[in-house]
Amino acid sequence: MRTLRPIGAVALAALFFFPVYVVVTGMLKPVKDIQSSPLGLPTPPTTANLDAVLGREDGLYWSALLNSVQITVLSVVALTLLSAMLAHYLVRSTARWTRPALLMLLAGLMIPPAVILQPITQVLGAAGLMNSVIGVVCANVAYYLPFGVFVFAGFIGGVPVEMEEAASIDGASRFRLFWQVVFPTLRPAAASVMIFLGVWVWNDFLTPLIVLGPESGTTVTVGVYRSVGEYSTDFGTLYAFSFLASLPVLLFFVALQKQFVAGLTAGAVK
Amino acid sequence: MRRSNSQSAREFAGFALPGLFLYGLLVLVPIGWTVVLGFTDRNRFAAATHWVGLEQFQRLFGDDQFWLVLKNTFVVTAIVVVVPNVLGLAIALLLDRNTLLYRLLRSLFFTPVILSGIVVSVIWQSMLRPGGVLNRFFGAVGWLSDPGIALYSISGILCWQMLGFCVVVYLAGLNGVPRELYEAAIVDGAGWWRRFGSVTWPMIASAVTINTVMLLISGFKVYEHILVLTNGGPGRNTTASIAFDVIEKGVRGDRIGFAAAEATVMLAIIVALSGVVLQVLRRREVHL
Repeated sequence: MRTLRPIGAVALAALFFFPVYVVVTGMLKPVKDIQSSPLGLPTPPTTANLDAVLGREDGLYWSALLNSVQITVLSVVALTLLSAMLAHYLVRSTARWTRPALLMLLAGLMIPPAVILQPITQVLGAAGLMNSVIGVVCANVAYYLPFGVFVFAGFIGGVPVEMEEAASIDGASRFRLFWQVVFPTLRPAAASVMIFLGVWVWNDFLTPLIVLGPESGTTVTVGVYRSVGEYSTDFGTLYAFSFLASLPVLLFFVALQKQFVAGLTAGAVK
Repeated sequence: MRRSNSQSAREFAGFALPGLFLYGLLVLVPIGWTVVLGFTDRNRFAAATHWVGLEQFQRLFGDDQFWLVLKNTFVVTAIVVVVPNVLGLAIALLLDRNTLLYRLLRSLFFTPVILSGIVVSVIWQSMLRPGGVLNRFFGAVGWLSDPGIALYSISGILCWQMLGFCVVVYLAGLNGVPRELYEAAIVDGAGWWRRFGSVTWPMIASAVTINTVMLLISGFKVYEHILVLTNGGPGRNTTASIAFDVIEKGVRGDRIGFAAAEATVMLAIIVALSGVVLQVLRRREVHL
Protein backbone atom coordinates (compact mmCIF):
# COMPACT_ATOMS: atom_id res chain seq x y z
CA MET A 1 0.00 0.00 0.00
CA ARG A 2 2.80 2.38 0.91
CA THR A 3 4.52 2.16 -2.49
CA LEU A 4 1.30 1.61 -4.41
CA ARG A 5 -0.06 5.05 -3.63
CA PRO A 6 2.72 7.18 -5.16
CA ILE A 7 2.99 4.83 -8.16
CA GLY A 8 -0.75 4.98 -8.75
CA ALA A 9 -0.82 8.75 -8.31
CA VAL A 10 2.08 9.32 -10.71
CA ALA A 11 0.63 6.94 -13.32
CA LEU A 12 -2.77 8.63 -13.17
CA ALA A 13 -1.25 12.11 -13.39
CA ALA A 14 0.92 11.03 -16.35
CA LEU A 15 -2.12 9.67 -18.20
CA PHE A 16 -4.04 12.84 -17.43
CA PHE A 17 -1.20 15.12 -18.49
CA PHE A 18 -0.51 13.23 -21.72
CA PRO A 19 -2.28 15.74 -24.04
CA VAL A 20 -0.11 18.58 -22.71
CA TYR A 21 2.97 16.44 -23.36
CA VAL A 22 1.83 15.88 -26.94
CA VAL A 23 1.51 19.64 -27.50
CA VAL A 24 4.76 20.68 -25.88
CA THR A 25 6.87 18.01 -27.60
CA GLY A 26 4.92 18.30 -30.88
CA MET A 27 5.58 22.02 -31.05
CA LEU A 28 9.34 21.29 -31.07
CA LYS A 29 9.17 18.71 -33.88
CA PRO A 30 9.01 19.01 -37.66
CA VAL A 31 5.47 18.31 -38.92
CA LYS A 32 6.34 14.94 -40.44
CA ASP A 33 7.56 13.71 -37.03
CA ILE A 34 4.26 14.72 -35.40
CA GLN A 35 2.56 12.38 -37.86
CA SER A 36 5.04 9.51 -37.69
CA SER A 37 6.01 9.53 -34.00
CA PRO A 38 3.61 11.64 -31.94
CA LEU A 39 4.84 10.10 -28.70
CA GLY A 40 8.60 10.44 -29.20
CA LEU A 41 10.76 13.18 -27.78
CA PRO A 42 11.83 15.90 -30.21
CA THR A 43 15.40 14.90 -31.13
CA PRO A 44 16.84 17.30 -31.91
CA PRO A 45 14.24 19.95 -30.99
CA THR A 46 13.46 22.59 -33.60
CA THR A 47 12.12 26.09 -33.07
CA ALA A 48 10.80 26.26 -36.65
CA ASN A 49 7.14 26.12 -35.52
CA LEU A 50 7.57 28.81 -32.88
CA ASP A 51 9.50 30.98 -35.37
CA ALA A 52 6.72 30.56 -37.91
CA VAL A 53 4.14 31.93 -35.46
CA LEU A 54 6.31 34.70 -34.02
CA GLY A 55 7.58 35.81 -37.42
CA ARG A 56 4.28 35.84 -39.34
CA GLU A 57 4.12 38.43 -42.10
CA ASP A 58 0.93 39.96 -40.70
CA GLY A 59 2.27 39.96 -37.12
CA LEU A 60 -0.97 38.28 -35.96
CA TYR A 61 0.53 36.84 -32.78
CA TRP A 62 2.05 40.12 -31.63
CA SER A 63 -1.00 42.28 -32.39
CA ALA A 64 -3.25 39.70 -30.70
CA LEU A 65 -0.93 39.64 -27.69
CA LEU A 66 -1.10 43.43 -27.43
CA ASN A 67 -4.91 43.33 -27.55
CA SER A 68 -5.10 40.55 -24.96
CA VAL A 69 -2.75 42.34 -22.58
CA GLN A 70 -4.64 45.64 -22.92
CA ILE A 71 -8.06 44.02 -22.47
CA THR A 72 -6.97 41.88 -19.52
CA VAL A 73 -5.11 44.62 -17.64
CA LEU A 74 -7.81 47.29 -18.13
CA SER A 75 -10.67 44.88 -17.31
CA VAL A 76 -9.03 43.50 -14.19
CA VAL A 77 -8.00 46.89 -12.79
CA ALA A 78 -11.43 48.41 -13.45
CA LEU A 79 -13.19 45.35 -12.03
CA THR A 80 -11.12 45.29 -8.86
CA LEU A 81 -11.71 48.98 -8.11
CA LEU A 82 -15.40 49.11 -9.08
CA SER A 83 -16.42 45.86 -7.41
CA ALA A 84 -14.54 46.70 -4.19
CA MET A 85 -16.27 50.09 -3.96
CA LEU A 86 -19.68 48.73 -4.87
CA ALA A 87 -19.40 45.79 -2.47
CA HIS A 88 -18.32 48.11 0.34
CA TYR A 89 -21.21 50.46 -0.34
CA LEU A 90 -23.78 47.66 -0.48
CA VAL A 91 -22.54 45.87 2.64
CA ARG A 92 -22.11 48.98 4.80
CA SER A 93 -25.10 51.04 3.69
CA THR A 94 -28.22 50.89 5.82
CA ALA A 95 -30.52 51.77 2.92
CA ARG A 96 -33.23 49.23 2.27
CA TRP A 97 -32.59 48.70 -1.43
CA THR A 98 -29.04 47.43 -1.00
CA ARG A 99 -30.07 43.91 0.05
CA PRO A 100 -32.15 43.20 -3.10
CA ALA A 101 -29.45 44.93 -5.18
CA LEU A 102 -26.85 42.53 -3.80
CA LEU A 103 -29.06 39.51 -4.56
CA MET A 104 -29.75 40.79 -8.07
CA LEU A 105 -26.01 41.10 -8.67
CA LEU A 106 -25.35 37.59 -7.40
CA ALA A 107 -28.02 36.22 -9.74
CA GLY A 108 -25.85 37.60 -12.54
CA LEU A 109 -23.17 35.03 -11.69
CA MET A 110 -25.19 32.37 -13.50
CA ILE A 111 -26.15 34.19 -16.72
CA PRO A 112 -24.55 32.50 -19.74
CA PRO A 113 -23.00 35.04 -22.14
CA ALA A 114 -24.97 33.57 -25.06
CA VAL A 115 -28.23 34.87 -23.55
CA ILE A 116 -27.21 38.54 -23.55
CA LEU A 117 -24.57 38.86 -26.25
CA GLN A 118 -26.83 40.03 -29.08
CA PRO A 119 -28.30 43.00 -27.12
CA ILE A 120 -24.82 43.80 -25.77
CA THR A 121 -23.59 44.33 -29.32
CA GLN A 122 -26.52 46.72 -29.87
CA VAL A 123 -25.82 48.73 -26.71
CA LEU A 124 -22.11 48.92 -27.51
CA GLY A 125 -22.93 49.81 -31.10
CA ALA A 126 -25.18 52.68 -29.98
CA ALA A 127 -22.35 53.93 -27.75
CA GLY A 128 -19.89 53.71 -30.64
CA LEU A 129 -17.83 51.10 -28.79
CA MET A 130 -18.15 48.11 -31.13
CA ASN A 131 -14.89 46.89 -32.69
CA SER A 132 -12.85 48.52 -29.93
CA VAL A 133 -10.77 47.34 -27.01
CA ILE A 134 -12.76 49.65 -24.70
CA GLY A 135 -15.99 47.97 -25.84
CA VAL A 136 -14.66 44.55 -24.83
CA VAL A 137 -13.45 46.00 -21.51
CA CYS A 138 -16.91 47.48 -20.77
CA ALA A 139 -18.64 44.17 -21.56
CA ASN A 140 -16.14 42.30 -19.36
CA VAL A 141 -16.50 44.71 -16.44
CA ALA A 142 -20.30 44.43 -16.50
CA TYR A 143 -20.30 40.65 -16.93
CA TYR A 144 -17.72 39.82 -14.23
CA LEU A 145 -18.80 42.51 -11.73
CA PRO A 146 -21.01 40.06 -9.77
CA PHE A 147 -18.02 37.79 -9.14
CA GLY A 148 -15.93 40.69 -7.81
CA VAL A 149 -18.77 41.96 -5.63
CA PHE A 150 -19.41 38.42 -4.37
CA VAL A 151 -15.81 37.95 -3.21
CA PHE A 152 -15.40 41.46 -1.77
CA ALA A 153 -18.80 41.45 -0.03
CA GLY A 154 -17.99 38.16 1.69
CA PHE A 155 -14.67 39.57 2.82
CA ILE A 156 -15.96 42.98 3.96
CA GLY A 157 -18.66 41.25 6.00
CA GLY A 158 -15.85 39.78 8.10
CA VAL A 159 -14.01 43.07 8.73
CA PRO A 160 -15.14 44.88 11.90
CA VAL A 161 -16.95 48.14 11.16
CA GLU A 162 -15.51 49.86 14.26
CA MET A 163 -12.20 50.50 12.56
CA GLU A 164 -13.91 52.51 9.83
CA GLU A 165 -16.02 54.41 12.35
CA ALA A 166 -12.97 55.34 14.40
CA ALA A 167 -11.29 56.72 11.31
CA SER A 168 -14.38 58.64 10.20
CA ILE A 169 -14.54 60.44 13.57
CA ASP A 170 -11.19 61.94 12.69
CA GLY A 171 -13.02 63.75 9.92
CA ALA A 172 -11.64 61.82 6.97
CA SER A 173 -13.88 61.95 3.90
CA ARG A 174 -15.55 58.71 2.88
CA PHE A 175 -13.35 58.43 -0.19
CA ARG A 176 -10.10 58.94 1.67
CA LEU A 177 -11.38 56.62 4.35
CA PHE A 178 -12.05 53.91 1.79
CA TRP A 179 -8.75 54.13 -0.06
CA GLN A 180 -6.51 54.71 2.96
CA VAL A 181 -8.15 52.59 5.63
CA VAL A 182 -10.52 50.04 4.10
CA PHE A 183 -8.99 49.05 0.76
CA PRO A 184 -5.59 48.00 2.21
CA THR A 185 -7.39 45.54 4.49
CA LEU A 186 -9.09 43.99 1.45
CA ARG A 187 -5.82 42.97 -0.15
CA PRO A 188 -6.34 39.18 0.14
CA ALA A 189 -9.76 39.48 -1.51
CA ALA A 190 -8.34 41.80 -4.17
CA ALA A 191 -5.60 39.26 -4.90
CA SER A 192 -8.04 36.44 -5.56
CA VAL A 193 -10.36 38.66 -7.60
CA MET A 194 -7.46 39.81 -9.78
CA ILE A 195 -6.03 36.33 -10.27
CA PHE A 196 -9.34 34.71 -11.16
CA LEU A 197 -10.52 37.45 -13.45
CA GLY A 198 -7.08 37.69 -15.02
CA VAL A 199 -7.27 34.05 -16.08
CA TRP A 200 -10.93 34.21 -17.13
CA VAL A 201 -10.64 37.42 -19.13
CA TRP A 202 -7.45 36.22 -20.83
CA ASN A 203 -9.15 32.98 -21.87
CA ASP A 204 -12.43 34.60 -22.93
CA PHE A 205 -13.39 33.75 -26.47
CA LEU A 206 -16.94 34.69 -27.34
CA THR A 207 -16.96 38.35 -26.25
CA PRO A 208 -13.75 39.37 -28.04
CA LEU A 209 -14.75 37.30 -31.09
CA ILE A 210 -18.02 39.18 -31.49
CA VAL A 211 -17.28 42.61 -29.96
CA LEU A 212 -13.77 43.13 -31.29
CA GLY A 213 -14.79 41.62 -34.61
CA PRO A 214 -12.49 40.95 -37.53
CA GLU A 215 -11.80 44.65 -38.20
CA SER A 216 -9.96 45.44 -35.00
CA GLY A 217 -7.71 42.41 -34.85
CA THR A 218 -8.07 39.62 -32.32
CA THR A 219 -7.06 38.47 -28.89
CA VAL A 220 -4.72 35.50 -28.59
CA THR A 221 -7.63 33.09 -27.94
CA VAL A 222 -9.47 34.25 -31.03
CA GLY A 223 -6.14 34.15 -32.88
CA VAL A 224 -5.79 30.44 -32.07
CA TYR A 225 -9.32 29.86 -33.38
CA ARG A 226 -8.64 31.76 -36.61
CA SER A 227 -5.42 29.84 -37.17
CA VAL A 228 -7.28 26.51 -36.84
CA GLY A 229 -8.83 27.14 -40.24
CA GLU A 230 -5.66 28.60 -41.68
CA TYR A 231 -3.11 25.97 -40.66
CA SER A 232 -5.64 23.11 -40.91
CA THR A 233 -3.51 20.01 -40.31
CA ASP A 234 -0.21 21.80 -39.71
CA PHE A 235 -0.31 20.82 -36.07
CA GLY A 236 3.25 21.91 -35.32
CA THR A 237 2.32 25.54 -35.95
CA LEU A 238 -1.07 25.15 -34.25
CA TYR A 239 0.60 23.70 -31.14
CA ALA A 240 3.12 26.53 -31.17
CA PHE A 241 0.36 29.15 -31.44
CA SER A 242 -1.64 27.47 -28.65
CA PHE A 243 1.44 27.32 -26.46
CA LEU A 244 2.37 30.97 -27.07
CA ALA A 245 -1.24 32.03 -26.43
CA SER A 246 -1.27 30.19 -23.07
CA LEU A 247 2.29 31.06 -21.99
CA PRO A 248 1.49 34.43 -20.33
CA VAL A 249 -1.38 32.97 -18.32
CA LEU A 250 0.69 29.92 -17.37
CA LEU A 251 3.52 32.14 -16.10
CA PHE A 252 0.99 34.29 -14.26
CA PHE A 253 -0.39 31.15 -12.63
CA VAL A 254 3.02 29.76 -11.66
CA ALA A 255 4.02 33.10 -10.13
CA LEU A 256 0.81 33.45 -8.11
CA GLN A 257 0.00 29.77 -7.57
CA LYS A 258 -0.24 30.07 -3.79
CA GLN A 259 -2.76 32.93 -3.81
CA PHE A 260 -4.65 31.32 -6.67
CA VAL A 261 -5.29 28.12 -4.80
CA ALA A 262 -6.00 30.03 -1.60
CA GLY A 263 -8.59 32.13 -3.42
CA LEU A 264 -10.13 29.15 -5.14
CA THR A 265 -10.53 27.28 -1.93
CA ALA A 266 -11.53 30.07 0.43
CA GLY A 267 -15.14 29.01 0.10
CA ALA A 268 -14.48 25.30 0.34
CA VAL A 269 -13.48 25.38 4.00
CA LYS A 270 -15.83 27.11 6.33
CA MET B 1 -23.02 58.66 11.94
CA ARG B 2 -25.50 61.15 10.53
CA ARG B 3 -24.81 62.40 7.10
CA SER B 4 -26.48 65.08 5.03
CA ASN B 5 -28.43 64.12 1.93
CA SER B 6 -26.01 65.71 -0.50
CA GLN B 7 -23.17 63.84 1.13
CA SER B 8 -24.87 60.46 0.83
CA ALA B 9 -25.84 61.25 -2.75
CA ARG B 10 -22.20 61.96 -3.48
CA GLU B 11 -21.21 58.68 -1.87
CA PHE B 12 -23.73 56.78 -3.95
CA ALA B 13 -22.45 58.46 -7.11
CA GLY B 14 -18.85 57.75 -6.22
CA PHE B 15 -19.02 54.22 -4.85
CA ALA B 16 -22.04 52.46 -6.25
CA LEU B 17 -23.07 54.20 -9.45
CA PRO B 18 -20.18 53.35 -11.82
CA GLY B 19 -20.51 49.60 -11.22
CA LEU B 20 -24.31 49.55 -11.12
CA PHE B 21 -24.49 51.67 -14.28
CA LEU B 22 -22.33 49.30 -16.33
CA TYR B 23 -24.06 46.23 -14.90
CA GLY B 24 -27.46 47.69 -15.64
CA LEU B 25 -26.57 48.80 -19.15
CA LEU B 26 -24.66 45.70 -20.26
CA VAL B 27 -26.30 42.88 -18.26
CA LEU B 28 -29.77 43.82 -16.98
CA VAL B 29 -30.91 45.79 -20.04
CA PRO B 30 -29.67 43.02 -22.38
CA ILE B 31 -31.54 40.39 -20.34
CA GLY B 32 -34.76 42.39 -20.63
CA TRP B 33 -34.05 43.13 -24.27
CA THR B 34 -33.56 39.44 -25.06
CA VAL B 35 -36.88 38.57 -23.44
CA VAL B 36 -38.67 41.33 -25.38
CA LEU B 37 -37.02 40.37 -28.70
CA GLY B 38 -38.33 36.84 -28.21
CA PHE B 39 -41.83 38.20 -28.87
CA THR B 40 -40.84 39.83 -32.17
CA ASP B 41 -39.93 38.68 -35.66
CA ARG B 42 -36.67 40.61 -35.67
CA ASN B 43 -34.33 39.61 -38.45
CA ARG B 44 -30.97 41.11 -39.31
CA PHE B 45 -31.92 41.53 -42.95
CA ALA B 46 -35.51 42.69 -42.51
CA ALA B 47 -36.16 46.41 -42.45
CA ALA B 48 -39.06 46.30 -39.98
CA THR B 49 -39.63 44.39 -36.74
CA HIS B 50 -43.13 43.31 -35.67
CA TRP B 51 -44.63 42.15 -32.42
CA VAL B 52 -45.66 38.54 -33.00
CA GLY B 53 -46.69 37.46 -29.51
CA LEU B 54 -45.90 33.84 -28.73
CA GLU B 55 -45.27 32.85 -32.33
CA GLN B 56 -41.50 32.38 -31.93
CA PHE B 57 -42.02 30.25 -28.83
CA GLN B 58 -44.60 28.11 -30.63
CA ARG B 59 -42.20 27.68 -33.53
CA LEU B 60 -39.40 26.85 -31.09
CA PHE B 61 -41.35 24.22 -29.16
CA GLY B 62 -42.63 22.69 -32.40
CA ASP B 63 -39.10 22.36 -33.76
CA ASP B 64 -37.48 18.91 -33.42
CA GLN B 65 -34.07 20.53 -33.69
CA PHE B 66 -34.69 22.59 -30.56
CA TRP B 67 -35.49 19.48 -28.53
CA LEU B 68 -32.42 17.75 -29.92
CA VAL B 69 -30.20 20.69 -28.96
CA LEU B 70 -31.80 20.82 -25.52
CA LYS B 71 -31.25 17.08 -25.04
CA ASN B 72 -27.59 17.45 -26.07
CA THR B 73 -27.16 20.25 -23.52
CA PHE B 74 -28.64 18.13 -20.73
CA VAL B 75 -26.47 15.12 -21.68
CA VAL B 76 -23.28 17.23 -21.62
CA THR B 77 -24.30 19.00 -18.39
CA ALA B 78 -25.19 15.75 -16.61
CA ILE B 79 -21.87 14.13 -17.55
CA VAL B 80 -19.90 17.25 -16.65
CA VAL B 81 -21.62 17.59 -13.26
CA VAL B 82 -21.15 13.93 -12.27
CA VAL B 83 -17.82 12.73 -13.69
CA PRO B 84 -15.36 15.44 -12.56
CA ASN B 85 -17.12 15.57 -9.20
CA VAL B 86 -16.68 11.84 -8.52
CA LEU B 87 -13.22 11.47 -10.10
CA GLY B 88 -12.11 14.76 -8.54
CA LEU B 89 -12.98 13.53 -5.06
CA ALA B 90 -11.26 10.18 -5.68
CA ILE B 91 -8.10 11.88 -6.94
CA ALA B 92 -8.17 14.41 -4.09
CA LEU B 93 -8.29 11.50 -1.62
CA LEU B 94 -5.35 9.92 -3.45
CA LEU B 95 -3.32 13.15 -3.47
CA ASP B 96 -4.17 14.21 0.08
CA ARG B 97 -0.52 14.12 1.28
CA ASN B 98 1.55 17.22 1.83
CA THR B 99 4.85 16.23 0.23
CA LEU B 100 6.60 17.74 -2.77
CA LEU B 101 5.58 14.88 -5.07
CA TYR B 102 1.88 15.27 -4.34
CA ARG B 103 2.00 19.05 -4.59
CA LEU B 104 3.61 18.70 -8.02
CA LEU B 105 0.95 16.22 -9.16
CA ARG B 106 -1.76 18.67 -8.05
CA SER B 107 -0.31 21.30 -10.39
CA LEU B 108 -0.38 18.81 -13.27
CA PHE B 109 -4.08 18.16 -12.68
CA PHE B 110 -4.77 21.87 -12.39
CA THR B 111 -3.06 22.97 -15.63
CA PRO B 112 -6.06 22.42 -18.00
CA VAL B 113 -8.20 24.62 -15.74
CA ILE B 114 -6.16 27.69 -16.67
CA LEU B 115 -6.10 26.93 -20.41
CA SER B 116 -8.76 28.47 -22.63
CA GLY B 117 -11.49 26.26 -24.07
CA ILE B 118 -10.17 27.02 -27.55
CA VAL B 119 -6.66 25.78 -26.75
CA VAL B 120 -8.02 22.67 -25.04
CA SER B 121 -10.18 21.96 -28.08
CA VAL B 122 -7.26 22.39 -30.48
CA ILE B 123 -5.17 19.95 -28.42
CA TRP B 124 -7.89 17.30 -28.38
CA GLN B 125 -8.84 17.79 -32.00
CA SER B 126 -5.29 16.96 -33.01
CA MET B 127 -5.40 13.80 -30.92
CA LEU B 128 -8.89 12.63 -31.89
CA ARG B 129 -8.73 13.23 -35.65
CA PRO B 130 -8.62 10.12 -37.86
CA GLY B 131 -4.80 10.01 -38.04
CA GLY B 132 -4.35 11.21 -34.45
CA VAL B 133 -2.57 9.63 -31.51
CA LEU B 134 -5.60 8.05 -29.90
CA ASN B 135 -6.54 6.02 -32.92
CA ARG B 136 -3.11 4.38 -32.83
CA PHE B 137 -4.25 2.64 -29.67
CA PHE B 138 -7.95 2.20 -30.27
CA GLY B 139 -8.14 1.54 -34.01
CA ALA B 140 -10.33 3.73 -36.21
CA VAL B 141 -12.86 5.23 -33.82
CA GLY B 142 -14.82 8.21 -35.14
CA TRP B 143 -14.35 10.24 -31.96
CA LEU B 144 -15.63 13.41 -33.56
CA SER B 145 -17.17 12.06 -36.78
CA ASP B 146 -19.49 9.34 -35.46
CA PRO B 147 -22.85 10.92 -34.48
CA GLY B 148 -23.24 8.36 -31.70
CA ILE B 149 -19.86 9.18 -30.13
CA ALA B 150 -19.03 12.85 -30.81
CA LEU B 151 -21.22 14.30 -28.04
CA TYR B 152 -19.55 12.01 -25.50
CA SER B 153 -16.10 12.97 -26.78
CA ILE B 154 -16.93 16.63 -26.20
CA SER B 155 -18.30 15.86 -22.73
CA GLY B 156 -15.14 13.89 -21.94
CA ILE B 157 -12.93 16.79 -23.00
CA LEU B 158 -14.90 19.18 -20.78
CA CYS B 159 -14.50 16.73 -17.89
CA TRP B 160 -10.75 16.65 -18.53
CA GLN B 161 -10.64 20.43 -18.38
CA MET B 162 -12.74 20.75 -15.19
CA LEU B 163 -11.29 17.82 -13.23
CA GLY B 164 -8.37 19.78 -11.74
CA PHE B 165 -10.73 22.44 -10.42
CA CYS B 166 -12.69 19.81 -8.48
CA VAL B 167 -9.48 18.16 -7.22
CA VAL B 168 -8.15 21.41 -5.78
CA VAL B 169 -11.46 22.40 -4.17
CA TYR B 170 -11.84 18.92 -2.62
CA LEU B 171 -8.24 18.97 -1.38
CA ALA B 172 -8.97 22.23 0.42
CA GLY B 173 -12.14 20.71 1.84
CA LEU B 174 -10.25 17.64 3.05
CA ASN B 175 -7.59 19.89 4.52
CA GLY B 176 -10.26 21.55 6.66
CA VAL B 177 -11.42 18.32 8.32
CA PRO B 178 -10.09 18.25 11.90
CA ARG B 179 -7.64 15.35 12.38
CA GLU B 180 -9.14 14.58 15.82
CA LEU B 181 -12.36 13.42 14.14
CA TYR B 182 -10.44 10.72 12.25
CA GLU B 183 -8.51 9.74 15.34
CA ALA B 184 -11.72 9.42 17.32
CA ALA B 185 -13.28 7.34 14.54
CA ILE B 186 -10.25 5.02 14.46
CA VAL B 187 -10.42 4.59 18.23
CA ASP B 188 -14.08 3.64 17.79
CA GLY B 189 -12.98 0.96 15.33
CA ALA B 190 -14.43 2.57 12.20
CA GLY B 191 -13.06 1.22 8.89
CA TRP B 192 -12.08 3.37 5.88
CA TRP B 193 -15.56 3.45 4.33
CA ARG B 194 -17.20 4.20 7.66
CA ARG B 195 -14.77 7.06 8.28
CA PHE B 196 -15.41 8.38 4.79
CA GLY B 197 -19.20 8.22 5.17
CA SER B 198 -19.44 9.60 8.69
CA VAL B 199 -16.56 12.08 8.84
CA THR B 200 -15.16 13.08 5.43
CA TRP B 201 -18.35 13.28 3.35
CA PRO B 202 -20.37 15.48 5.73
CA MET B 203 -17.35 17.71 6.40
CA ILE B 204 -16.74 18.53 2.73
CA ALA B 205 -20.34 19.54 2.01
CA SER B 206 -19.47 23.11 0.96
CA ALA B 207 -16.78 21.82 -1.42
CA VAL B 208 -19.47 19.65 -3.06
CA THR B 209 -21.70 22.72 -3.40
CA ILE B 210 -18.99 24.84 -5.01
CA ASN B 211 -18.00 22.12 -7.48
CA THR B 212 -21.54 21.18 -8.43
CA VAL B 213 -22.64 24.76 -9.08
CA MET B 214 -19.45 25.57 -11.00
CA LEU B 215 -19.77 22.42 -13.15
CA LEU B 216 -23.45 23.05 -13.76
CA ILE B 217 -22.77 26.54 -15.08
CA SER B 218 -19.79 25.39 -17.20
CA GLY B 219 -21.68 22.46 -18.70
CA PHE B 220 -24.79 24.45 -19.51
CA LYS B 221 -23.00 27.27 -21.33
CA VAL B 222 -20.63 25.07 -23.38
CA TYR B 223 -19.91 26.78 -26.68
CA GLU B 224 -16.35 27.06 -27.95
CA HIS B 225 -15.49 23.36 -27.56
CA ILE B 226 -18.37 22.53 -29.89
CA LEU B 227 -17.39 25.29 -32.31
CA VAL B 228 -13.83 24.01 -32.70
CA LEU B 229 -14.34 20.26 -32.39
CA THR B 230 -17.48 19.54 -34.42
CA ASN B 231 -19.17 22.83 -35.34
CA GLY B 232 -22.43 21.25 -34.19
CA GLY B 233 -22.11 18.15 -36.40
CA PRO B 234 -21.57 15.52 -37.64
CA GLY B 235 -24.82 15.75 -39.55
CA ARG B 236 -27.37 18.21 -38.28
CA ASN B 237 -27.06 19.41 -34.66
CA THR B 238 -25.88 16.06 -33.27
CA THR B 239 -23.53 17.89 -30.89
CA ALA B 240 -24.96 21.45 -30.88
CA SER B 241 -25.79 22.84 -27.43
CA ILE B 242 -28.44 25.44 -26.72
CA ALA B 243 -25.78 28.15 -26.25
CA PHE B 244 -24.22 27.14 -29.56
CA ASP B 245 -27.60 27.29 -31.30
CA VAL B 246 -28.45 30.71 -29.83
CA ILE B 247 -25.11 32.17 -30.96
CA GLU B 248 -25.23 30.62 -34.42
CA LYS B 249 -28.79 31.78 -35.10
CA GLY B 250 -28.93 35.13 -33.31
CA VAL B 251 -25.43 36.58 -33.10
CA ARG B 252 -23.60 35.13 -36.10
CA GLY B 253 -26.81 34.42 -38.03
CA ASP B 254 -29.82 36.57 -38.84
CA ARG B 255 -32.75 35.02 -36.90
CA ILE B 256 -32.54 37.40 -33.93
CA GLY B 257 -36.15 37.04 -32.75
CA PHE B 258 -36.13 33.25 -32.85
CA ALA B 259 -32.76 33.05 -31.09
CA ALA B 260 -34.01 35.50 -28.44
CA ALA B 261 -36.97 33.20 -27.69
CA GLU B 262 -34.54 30.31 -27.38
CA ALA B 263 -32.25 32.39 -25.13
CA THR B 264 -35.25 33.23 -22.94
CA VAL B 265 -35.98 29.52 -22.48
CA MET B 266 -32.29 28.98 -21.70
CA LEU B 267 -32.44 31.73 -19.09
CA ALA B 268 -35.54 30.21 -17.46
CA ILE B 269 -33.87 26.78 -17.29
CA ILE B 270 -30.64 28.04 -15.74
CA VAL B 271 -32.51 30.10 -13.13
CA ALA B 272 -34.74 27.13 -12.18
CA LEU B 273 -31.85 24.67 -12.20
CA SER B 274 -29.50 26.75 -10.06
CA GLY B 275 -32.31 27.56 -7.64
CA VAL B 276 -33.15 23.89 -7.13
CA VAL B 277 -29.54 22.76 -6.89
CA LEU B 278 -28.59 25.47 -4.39
CA GLN B 279 -31.62 24.65 -2.24
CA VAL B 280 -30.82 20.94 -2.14
CA LEU B 281 -27.10 21.37 -1.48
CA ARG B 282 -27.52 24.13 1.09
CA ARG B 283 -30.01 22.04 3.03
CA ARG B 284 -27.43 19.27 3.23
CA GLU B 285 -24.87 21.74 4.58
CA VAL B 286 -27.25 23.05 7.23
CA HIS B 287 -28.12 19.56 8.43
CA LEU B 288 -24.59 18.88 9.67
